Amino acid sequence: MAEAARVNETDRIKVKPNVSRSDRVFDIVNMTLIAVSVLICIFPFIHVLAISLSSSRPIMSGEVTLFPKEFTIEAYVKVFSDPSMIRSLGFTVMLTAVFTLFCMVMTIAAAYPLSKSNLKGRGFFMVVIIITMFFSGGIIPEYILVRNLHLLDTMWALVLPGLISPFYLIIMISFFKGIPDSLEEAAEIDGSSHFRTLLRIILPLSMPVIATLSLFYAVGRWNGFMDTLMYINSPELYPLQLKLYQLIQNNMATELMRNEVAGTANMMPESLKAASVIFATVPILIVYPWLQRYFVSGVMLGAVKG
Amino acid sequence: MKTSTYLRRYWQLYFLLILPLAYFAIFKYGPMYGVQIAFKDFNFFQGINGSEWIGWDGFREVFQNQDFYRTLRNTLMLNILDLIVSFPAPLILAIMLYEVKTVWFKKLSQTILYIPHFISWVIIGGIVYQVFGTQSGFINNLWVSMGFQPIPFLTDPNYWLITYLLTGVWQSAGWGTILYLAALTGINRELYEAAEVDGATRMRRIWHITLPGLRPTIITLLIINLGNMVTIGFERPYVIGNVAVQEYSDVLSTFVYRIGLESGQYTLATVVGLFQAIVGLIFVLGANFAAKKTTGEGIL
Amino acid sequence: MNKGVGTMKLVSGKTWFKGWSGIMLATVLAGTTVLAGCSSSGSEAGATTADGKSVLKVEVFDRGNSPAGSTISDNYMTKLVNERFGEPNKIDVQYVPIPRSEELQKLNVLMASGGDVPDIVFTYDQGTFNRYAQQGGLTDLTDLLNQYGPNLKKFLGEDTLSYGQIEGKQFAIPGKRSVLGKYASYIRQDWLDALKLPVPQTTDELYTTLKAFKEKDPGKVGSGLIPFGMTIAPAQYEPLLWSFVQQPLTDEQKYTLTQKLGSSDYPTLLPGFKDGLKFMNKLYNEGMISRDFGLDEDKKQLWQDVQNGKVGFYTEDAGELYFTYNGTYKNLQANVKDAKLTPADVFTNNEGKHAKPEYASNGLYIMIPKSSSKAVEAIKYLDWMASGKNLFDMQNGVEGENYTLKDGVPVAKENASTEAQNRLYNYGDMAIIANGKVAGTEEQNNDAYIMQVPEEYQAAMRKSVEISNTDTIPPVNFNKPIEAEAKYGSALQDKYSQLIVKATMAPTAQFDTTYDALLKDYMSSGGQAILDERTKVFQEGGANK
Repeated sequence: MAEAARVNETDRIKVKPNVSRSDRVFDIVNMTLIAVSVLICIFPFIHVLAISLSSSRPIMSGEVTLFPKEFTIEAYVKVFSDPSMIRSLGFTVMLTAVFTLFCMVMTIAAAYPLSKSNLKGRGFFMVVIIITMFFSGGIIPEYILVRNLHLLDTMWALVLPGLISPFYLIIMISFFKGIPDSLEEAAEIDGSSHFRTLLRIILPLSMPVIATLSLFYAVGRWNGFMDTLMYINSPELYPLQLKLYQLIQNNMATELMRNEVAGTANMMPESLKAASVIFATVPILIVYPWLQRYFVSGVMLGAVKG
Repeated sequence: MKTSTYLRRYWQLYFLLILPLAYFAIFKYGPMYGVQIAFKDFNFFQGINGSEWIGWDGFREVFQNQDFYRTLRNTLMLNILDLIVSFPAPLILAIMLYEVKTVWFKKLSQTILYIPHFISWVIIGGIVYQVFGTQSGFINNLWVSMGFQPIPFLTDPNYWLITYLLTGVWQSAGWGTILYLAALTGINRELYEAAEVDGATRMRRIWHITLPGLRPTIITLLIINLGNMVTIGFERPYVIGNVAVQEYSDVLSTFVYRIGLESGQYTLATVVGLFQAIVGLIFVLGANFAAKKTTGEGIL
Repeated sequence: MNKGVGTMKLVSGKTWFKGWSGIMLATVLAGTTVLAGCSSSGSEAGATTADGKSVLKVEVFDRGNSPAGSTISDNYMTKLVNERFGEPNKIDVQYVPIPRSEELQKLNVLMASGGDVPDIVFTYDQGTFNRYAQQGGLTDLTDLLNQYGPNLKKFLGEDTLSYGQIEGKQFAIPGKRSVLGKYASYIRQDWLDALKLPVPQTTDELYTTLKAFKEKDPGKVGSGLIPFGMTIAPAQYEPLLWSFVQQPLTDEQKYTLTQKLGSSDYPTLLPGFKDGLKFMNKLYNEGMISRDFGLDEDKKQLWQDVQNGKVGFYTEDAGELYFTYNGTYKNLQANVKDAKLTPADVFTNNEGKHAKPEYASNGLYIMIPKSSSKAVEAIKYLDWMASGKNLFDMQNGVEGENYTLKDGVPVAKENASTEAQNRLYNYGDMAIIANGKVAGTEEQNNDAYIMQVPEEYQAAMRKSVEISNTDTIPPVNFNKPIEAEAKYGSALQDKYSQLIVKATMAPTAQFDTTYDALLKDYMSSGGQAILDERTKVFQEGGANK
């Protein structure tokens, strides 16, 4: 399957159609615009990176923009020598992987039947699901539920309540609907069961959307920490983003903290915050480039031919 | 078809649905009794079931609050502007990326363009200040050095809208392309080759092949977006907003935060939530109906 | 499954659909009621450990800054408590971390969900304390305190304890704030010297000085010059605004026209407040104060500007700039050679006094939920903390390693080992009965506070603290909570900031209309309700004098 796709990709590059002048102008303008956007988008990242590699004085004086001043890797030494950071990274990776896997299984299981427009009860199920996009019981009953299920302070409190996002489910359904019926009908005539059709035909054809939604779920889990604040007490179960959030948020002078006495808050150096941001962001950033291999064109085409 | 035949043929589909529906029943509908807080004088220590019923009093209080209307108006305004400005941005960007033939350039820019999505709003807030501030902001420094008056990007409400929108585009456009790029893989490349042979220009090809290929995705996203017209994230208006532009930056989520968390009036916060849910549901069903009538596609 | 549906005799597609909806609905509803049903159960009352100790659960703020090798619930301090208090009393003290930034959210949920609430909880938020007390969720501690907390009572004193009383009942133990002074002003001495000007002593002199800074630019700063550094945080505008309040005030004016939003008194309706804003407006329009001050909520920009030597004068929490974690002064001196900031006391009121607000004498509100069965143990714990050297050791660590004693006042060792420093990383959140270091008398407390900054700054720090304690205006208090303040407080804080920013930034000619419009909005958004309620309570004799 993936092989078919790759062949297709290389075909596309090799067969260079004769390029007209207006085409070339289009390419240049297009790529320039993209390049400018890229620069604008990478700016804050570089900025944070520069801060993470600078000393405290130039940071506090606002001198650091794109290049480190009074270069030091002290902040990174601190981050990497903190066993709780490393453990947290390990836990977050595992949590994200487990969460994504569960979510995808559930989402696919729901999306496949619901993508069949002739499924009886489909409209009702859809309404039931869509209602949950808007109505929720609120934070207190949700906490009580998690407690009554004895999930408090376990990893599952961070996995089970978020298994299916109705929004992603709808996207999945819309992609499944786009797969030509002829493929499935052919399989059905061959006597294939629905399970089999899903596994052998639908899923291989849906790799781009599966990759996309996996990424969405994974990133959502990676970056989410509000539920951790409510459900987790043990420091061993602190995901990276929670630690990061505390580093950044708890040092801010907000109205609530105004009454605390000066000198009690153990302020974190800015460079350490920045280094932690980098530490917590880079692992999830590299997921997408890795997933890009599933974003090749002509998957469908290859399958139909094959 | 008789029910038994129907089931014999389709039971596997219903079987697949068991776990997902159980999930929705337990984790989504399970806590739904919390909605009754809207009709109760919520007391922390009596709990949800023990608090006293007050009927529509909570609704009356919310609908008499002038801040509710102001924040509702702002929420709608910011969302509509976002729909006009930020909604098409990832679509355009995705098409632009799709047209790039140089593979390394394409992959590299995709990867970088989605970085802003990962930068938390707290950090973005600091950067926005450094870029748009009147006194020491990067843009104004440049602008003033050219001999102009500084532009109050953050303190004048109208300029602030521009800042707000641009920051939104910047933060979400790259991330938003991913879905479109996934959808674009479904388009048959042969169509383009055929069009090229026919002498169609790039723009025409985009218009007649790429866009129609993305139509289901666009419609799906549009319907969901319309459903979220009266909901708005807390962080973006809060972080980018400031006291000087509060007449625009104060939105329903900040309103709920104030009355719910800071003032402990859970009843009122729940009323607002219920209002948002009902409007959202009406909007999404309406949008879906309209989309079905006009294009034959929808999410239901 | 097949069979189940079959027995329901659903034949045609249409009815079949309805049947399924019915089943779904029934499942959903059943799930809902089942789950709702167990919502009130599940609290583990009177838990004990395996070795027969009873368990006391105490909240602790988690700021995510636990040093490597320890956690928020297991560190030097928790061990100290269990060793000195836990062992002898057969009590296992366990700490329940609550994330600092989401403190209220989590506390509310814990309270509302009935179970898992620690036996000792706390917050700085007065509104939350009032709410819990009024909704009947807190243990009345009046008798328990008399019985089990003699040391605690003596330590806190009547004045501080009164903050935790509602209509005579002690519903919270307020922490004691040891240093009450709030603000001091700072001015660039080197600029004054260059212009041969004295340190200004009055508001008028300050104005002349600022003007001279603006016109002559003694520091050669150029276009970035800010004669008067301003933000939208109280430390920068409060000393100025309060000095414009017309003294003397009658008791009635003081109690009814002040508005308490959050935990501070606001002068919004006091006579003279408008003049203060007018003065700010004048300064702004003459280019004297930071142009973007309305954006600077966390003072970050101000601190940067001060460090870069752009700011001539500003007011701040007394001594903030000398603390090592802040580093403002140190960085300024590194960035600008010969730069010198002198503490000053400049804003004078109509009586010629340097009037400025001070803190209320309380810190945290420490509460024991009604659901707790460990109220006695909890009071014992707090009493233990207040007795002997316990509080002192929790705040200062080990003698010789963390501090040395000088006239009975602990002086922090500047080159203490990391291990020693780590002991104290969250002492403020553990030693909850005190807010600020307690060394003994008020004077010793101030000394202890001053000794926390590096030695070279201690003289200036002493001056700052002195200024902050001069001519202070203490907060006013009622013997019961003003409900309108709890309800509208947070919305009004925003309106108040808006009033300051917009009125200050308005063109001179439009000052009055801007001010009137914003004040009207303020009043109709709850300001009037607060005024009415305060007047009523005052007339009923509810003022704590």
